[in-house]
Amino acid sequence: MELIRKISFQTSQFFSFISKNQIYLMSLLLISMIFFSLLAITFGSYGLSIVDFILGKTSDIQNTVLTEIRLPRVILSGLAGASLGISGAALQGLFRNPLADPGLIGVSAGAALGATLMIVLGGDIFSQYSLGVFFIPLAAIAGSSLVILMLYFMTKGFGYEGVTYMLLVGIAINAIAGVGIGILTYISSDSELRSLTFWTMGSFGGVTWPLLVPVILIIALAIIIMIPYSRQLDLLQLGEPEAFRLGVDVQKLKYTIILTCAASVGASVALSGMIGFVGLIVPHLTRLLGGVNHNYVLPGSALMGAALMIIADLIARIIIQPAELPIGLITSAIGSPFFLWLIFKIKKL
Amino acid sequence: MTISAKSISLELGGKKILNNISMEVRPGEILSIIGPNGAGKTSLLNVLSGNIKSHIGHVSYNNVPLENISIQERAYIRSVMSQFQSIAFDYSVEDILQMGWLDHSHKDIKEDLSAFQNQVIQECDMENLIHQKFNTLSGGEQRRVHFARTLLQLWQPTNTNDQNYLLLDEPFSNLDLVHKVKMMESIKAKASSGTGILMILHDLNLAYSFSDKILLLKNGRVIEQGETKKMLSARLLARAYETFISIDENPINIKYY
Repeated sequence: MELIRKISFQTSQFFSFISKNQIYLMSLLLISMIFFSLLAITFGSYGLSIVDFILGKTSDIQNTVLTEIRLPRVILSGLAGASLGISGAALQGLFRNPLADPGLIGVSAGAALGATLMIVLGGDIFSQYSLGVFFIPLAAIAGSSLVILMLYFMTKGFGYEGVTYMLLVGIAINAIAGVGIGILTYISSDSELRSLTFWTMGSFGGVTWPLLVPVILIIALAIIIMIPYSRQLDLLQLGEPEAFRLGVDVQKLKYTIILTCAASVGASVALSGMIGFVGLIVPHLTRLLGGVNHNYVLPGSALMGAALMIIADLIARIIIQPAELPIGLITSAIGSPFFLWLIFKIKKL
Repeated sequence: MTISAKSISLELGGKKILNNISMEVRPGEILSIIGPNGAGKTSLLNVLSGNIKSHIGHVSYNNVPLENISIQERAYIRSVMSQFQSIAFDYSVEDILQMGWLDHSHKDIKEDLSAFQNQVIQECDMENLIHQKFNTLSGGEQRRVHFARTLLQLWQPTNTNDQNYLLLDEPFSNLDLVHKVKMMESIKAKASSGTGILMILHDLNLAYSFSDKILLLKNGRVIEQGETKKMLSARLLARAYETFISIDENPINIKYY
């Protein structure tokens, strides 16, 4: 008996506190994500059919469009949505604050600045080393880690009282990063450096497999590491001293969440730019649908983020054909009123 | 088998909070810490629970030094109820209670825990609260939920009987008369089943009519500690609280002027 007790607590079983409804909801989210992916692969400026592709009836051009353009794009949009969704949920849990969002508090901006710096100052190193494709995401991760650590010290350990400072630091970092990205895009003649709109509004276009694979690995790893900490994030809501008394290694929990959030946000920003408000809206919708316990909210937010981002990118691609809307425009158009509503709601409490 | 603290001193921000304190919490005993504001009562509790690590001196649980017990094992040995912060998300009362479930993955354990939880819900008179949102409860109701959670944390599977402890910081604040009595009865029952209990109390009458031992703290020093009967001295209390105090025994009634 003794043995079972010790082991079972350490492995922090995942399904213990998930209700049946929450499992149904997550399955539903997964199915819609797959359905949206198929839609997003099929529709676009160039018509394609999945059925034809599977049956082998497609032409070489169609094959290339599907595997080299459409598929990476859909995967990237899903990954970016998942990483922003789950990071938003985890950061809100860590800060014990429903207003935390990787975009609002400057984490995405830090990542964008890190990535642009690497592109401008890094020069040719990407092609020289075999692991060169990892350099841009790693620089973005360094940027986002730095911002989260700074937030940590400014808010004296993420206390609930720290909310004002958290948002103020976010404003400052966003401004600094905006200037930095602006200067870098202006002085750089390098064709690799994408436009200012790319970094501030985001885009999933133009991604290739060699760039995508490291990002897939980083984000998948971050999510796999993050999810088993759900139960400890729940306990943290009682306050740090209480979580400690219930057996949570609070220090380890914090650094794990900081690193995994920084990694997943950094990796997604490196390839898709800053996409606002997803990390804010998605966890709230997820909670609204099924409850607040983190072993539902974390994976649920990842799935919901992926599904919503895939469909949002499809809309961005086809709504003003042949042109394309920046994805960040869509998410901000939906997200900013939602943010206002949230502030009013919290103020009423 | 005790919680034992030997020559504990603590300095925070250049201020001496605790000064050479030695004490013990024994199984089945209720020890109350009393003393004026700023005496260092909560800091002492935090040193004992392991939340404060910067102290000088030794704390051990059942003869094992505290620093040799892992954070997770500590959760099985002692549970703590203190002053609480607000909770940001809409957890239900049941969610909060289940945060006291240390084991939950093993199926048998989960069933036993559910049964024990129902028992605790009855004992703490919480049937009508259990499905509400925690944030909608009043301060007193929230304290009752947290108390029930600390009881759940001390649950042990049948045929195990590890010595454990309950540390309570002002458990009765915000409680109405009826629930104060109910909580006292739960604490007494816990003590008679062998759990060692340490409480910080401000209500002297409550402390003296209810504890086996009293520890009187002032300015970070132990003024006196011992059996409750021995500690019932107007001179002693007057020295600690710096006011005039008179005591009627049988029933105990401590008045101050």
